[in-house]
Amino acid sequence: MERTLFYSGNEAIAHGAVRAGAGFACGYPGTPSTEILETAAGIPGVHAEWCINEKVAMETAVGASLAGVRTIVTMKHVGLNVAADPFMTLSLTGVNAGLVIVSADDPGMHSSQNEQDNRNYAKFARIPMFEPSDSQEAYDVLAEAFALSEEFDTPVLLRSTTRLSHGRGCVIPRVPIVLEPRDYERDISKYVMVPQYARVRNRLVLERLQRLRARSESSPLNVLEAGTADFGIIASGVAYTYAREAFPKAWFLKLGMSHPLTYGKVVRLYQQVSRVAVVEELDPFLEEQVRGLGLPVIGKQAIPADGEIDQDIVFRALEPFLTRKPARRRRPLMPPAPRLSAPPEADPGLPVRPPVLCPGCTHRSVYASLRRQKLTPMGDIGCYTLGALPPLLALDSCLCMGASIGMMAGFNKALGRKAAAAVIGDSTFFHSGITPLIDAHYNEAEGLVLVLDNRTTAMTGHQGHPGTGLRPDHSRGPAVDIQKLCEGIGVRCATVDAGDHPALDAAIKAEVAKPGLGVIVALAPCVLMVREKAGEIVVDDERCNLCGVCLDIGCPALAPAGETITVTDVCTGCGLCIDVCRRGALSYAGASGAGAEDAG
Amino acid sequence: MNGVTTVSLVGVGGQGILLAAAILAESASAEGLDVKASEVKGMAQRGGSVLSTVRFGEAVWSPVARRADVVVAMELLEGRRGLDLLGLRGTLVCAVTTRIVPGSVLRGEDDYPDDLAEVAAERGVRLIALDAEALARRAGTLRAVNVVLLGAASMVLPFSRESWQRGLSAVVPAKILEVNERAFALGRDAVSSEEVGP
Repeated sequence: MERTLFYSGNEAIAHGAVRAGAGFACGYPGTPSTEILETAAGIPGVHAEWCINEKVAMETAVGASLAGVRTIVTMKHVGLNVAADPFMTLSLTGVNAGLVIVSADDPGMHSSQNEQDNRNYAKFARIPMFEPSDSQEAYDVLAEAFALSEEFDTPVLLRSTTRLSHGRGCVIPRVPIVLEPRDYERDISKYVMVPQYARVRNRLVLERLQRLRARSESSPLNVLEAGTADFGIIASGVAYTYAREAFPKAWFLKLGMSHPLTYGKVVRLYQQVSRVAVVEELDPFLEEQVRGLGLPVIGKQAIPADGEIDQDIVFRALEPFLTRKPARRRRPLMPPAPRLSAPPEADPGLPVRPPVLCPGCTHRSVYASLRRQKLTPMGDIGCYTLGALPPLLALDSCLCMGASIGMMAGFNKALGRKAAAAVIGDSTFFHSGITPLIDAHYNEAEGLVLVLDNRTTAMTGHQGHPGTGLRPDHSRGPAVDIQKLCEGIGVRCATVDAGDHPALDAAIKAEVAKPGLGVIVALAPCVLMVREKAGEIVVDDERCNLCGVCLDIGCPALAPAGETITVTDVCTGCGLCIDVCRRGALSYAGASGAGAEDAG
Repeated sequence: MNGVTTVSLVGVGGQGILLAAAILAESASAEGLDVKASEVKGMAQRGGSVLSTVRFGEAVWSPVARRADVVVAMELLEGRRGLDLLGLRGTLVCAVTTRIVPGSVLRGEDDYPDDLAEVAAERGVRLIALDAEALARRAGTLRAVNVVLLGAASMVLPFSRESWQRGLSAVVPAKILEVNERAFALGRDAVSSEEVGP
């Protein structure tokens, strides 16, 4: 017997995909999906690549599937919004080799801008969906997902959540599946979605949905588990594990394949017990379908419709319903108002540690300059979004990947002047900042775009992107030069060392004074990749009057101490505090007086 | 719940919590137990508190739990916060000499807590307090604070020495295995048998 492995859900998905014959993996980093592709990149025999964004990843995956290679494409929940255009029509064209789309949702928004339930996308696109509940199931389900994809000529959605993706469990590895090669065959009426062909394919999709429902009825992944209590629970994904732990004696309809819903097994559960609850995170996705069958069900009136749940929440929510006698109901059954999650518990009085920009992070240098300008800063998504929090308060908006530049252009157009700036990271700029920049140029929008180029996708754990050329297997490809790209578009662009605060400050001031549209690339590698202390910073207690200018940059290394400032040992010696101090009270050790000469 | 033991590892990002959790999980697996674990990554991690949970037993369903039987804390404030995971029982293994002072304390808005021992005693929590930094330094690297604490926690967890060794070998990279083995042993030896009790 092979050794039992201990995999995160993401590792299990990657290994399960390769075991099931996947030869191609692509995606865009996003918590909690990122490690799937990073793991796949380390497995021999599979080609893994980061794409510029999720839409391109989806299209790349379709190409690989058509070429005859089983393919997995990974993204976080909001990434599927970006990829929704190819995704929705892909349902019509179908696939050649199996194609599995992984959407990793983030209930509770540990690291996301919204909380959306991507199970709705399976229904929206009329494609099958699998929801494994632990690492072993995640590993095993890939074989069924690829086989189903090919048998029914459909992309398959594999929906994960944070607790599956980042939870860990034992995995017994299985024998690798050996596949016959699948050749690409030209089929214009299948792959060219002009209206006359799309109408035909659309009917096939509806027929396919019926056949998939029959498959869902017979699927061994949808199991009716006998219990001893007089109540039953319908659940899928990690919610099943919570319900199972909370109510070990209940009957269960465990849905491994949760779309299309198996109506037959739902009805059979109702034949066994007098009360049934649906336990699911976020939307009443299954609950509404059960209600659609005219069956009474306990769902979102008990289980919160927002945030994460766990076994305690499930137990406390359902216990009053399941032990009480069921109320006699009149039809029609009106869906009750959903419950919300409990408000955050009162702080027990202990100091908290909110996420902050790292000590030595050069984003701080950009913000220190930017806020001296009278501009409304439109933000974007990345580490630098933390600049919106106190004490920096340096960003006015954060909507979605790449939104900053378009929002800036619209804001400035509407006011007829250069009123807003855009702040966007390097990876986000490549993801979806280039098209709005071209648009802003074409429409002659005014504005200042600051590209915070730290040479990596930092927030998700330092993945490569087209600006660095770094690939997930650590090899290097060609890199795209942001300045040349902007200049190629026809937009004025300058690159400045973000670690040189006076130079950056001067460049921003100069650019703001110019009419029209300009880009400043504030360049400095992420401080976590450098890890070298630039120097020891000392405080001249005589000069320091505790004015607080240095504290306003929000550096975790600086703190007030009595009548002066203290520099703690997390300091990287970046020197931004020296540059912002107006009294020359801060300087590098051994260079005393240097700061004083600069003070004006 | 249901014969499942829950161990929560707490600290600040960068303290090796995920590595310690992986060693613990592998060791439980080596005992032939079912194991599940969970952690949260991403934005929540930038300088923030980190919580990793490992659950083991004959059969484990949920990867998360609100209450722990044992909390392993890599830092004093996080250990104090971790008391709330234990309720009125359980064991806290805490690096009481390690202080990573949060910004609000540096700015004078909050006080760093100094009531760990009293509150633990009030709540009936068994406190195993260690100078884990000193022990890690003696083992050869300050970075082994996490494994020192795991060694101490091993005195209250039902795994054989062989299972812990298998956990360490499975997770710790070969070139730093030896120093971590020393750190584990020092942590284990630092906990006297009378401290552990029945």
